[in-house]
Amino acid sequence: MDALHDWSYMLAAIAGLTLGTVVTRSSFFVLPARIQLPERVERALRYAPACALAAIIAPGVLSHDKHVTIGWGNNQMWALIAASLVFAKTRNMLAMMVVGMGVFTALRLLA
Amino acid sequence: MAPFALAIAVWGFVTGVAMVNSGMPIPVGVLMTLTVFAGSAQLAVLPLLAVGAPLPVVWVTALIVNLRFVIFAASSRSAFVHLPLRQRVLAGYLNGDLGFALFSLRFADDPERGTPVQWGFFYGGAVVNWVVWQVASIAGLLLGGLAPTDWGLELAAYLALVAVLVPMATKFPAVVGVVVAVVLSLVTVRMPLRLGSLVSVAAGVCIAMVAERWQTSQRSGA
Repeated sequence: MDALHDWSYMLAAIAGLTLGTVVTRSSFFVLPARIQLPERVERALRYAPACALAAIIAPGVLSHDKHVTIGWGNNQMWALIAASLVFAKTRNMLAMMVVGMGVFTALRLLA
Repeated sequence: MAPFALAIAVWGFVTGVAMVNSGMPIPVGVLMTLTVFAGSAQLAVLPLLAVGAPLPVVWVTALIVNLRFVIFAASSRSAFVHLPLRQRVLAGYLNGDLGFALFSLRFADDPERGTPVQWGFFYGGAVVNWVVWQVASIAGLLLGGLAPTDWGLELAAYLALVAVLVPMATKFPAVVGVVVAVVLSLVTVRMPLRLGSLVSVAAGVCIAMVAERWQTSQRSGA
């Protein structure tokens, strides 16, 4: 059966994910004040989320069925590059979305 | 507040669209958005859930994406430590990316912590954030499935993640870490259970720490 329609799998997944939200967000609100993050750990934690997001975005856009799909014909790749540049420049999420989806749609219709 | 509400609405809508486009039944998506309440973690685990990845891999992936909240909590704890435990847990749960950004922008230089004005501001912002997020997300779940699949709406989910990533990767060590993670995540794309993404994160963080040390030594002229 498709995992997304397997209620016991999805309920267990959602329960664990909800716990993860609560534990990370309220971590230092709940811990006693004497407990501090060691400086090295705090520095490492700063980099983990960016690396995690990169490791999700790259295979999602640049691979298909476990094969890397970097190439001129990968419309999603061009859309991602255009959107990233727009967002880095403007920090405007709506503009980034419009440009990214616009590039993708234009390339799709031209092909 | 208005630009933040717009960002939350776009982000919530895209998350809803992404959930329904991954093949998730709408009731499951509604339950997920109402409880998990963490857009980037939800988007990150969608590809894992779709292939039925083992639950520990799903949870660890979400925890890594959520690690930034530990830093948020550590840096804003002084405003919250005097509250009863239940309120601290609730405040933490509501302390997402945008709520935190607003709160720290507004009160970063305030010498007093936990004043009534700060409370009002925090809970007011948090409630607006929660309501806008949930409405937009459920709208995305209901409307996303109507669009033909070749419109590429799943791309929108990845673009939304870029909006979270870019502000985190403005300094040199973070950029190096991100580049390493990108390359390794593609090299390891055939590893089972999506373990490649965990390998990429570990390597990216290590190299970022090395880059940071190198940068510091360059600056101090050592």
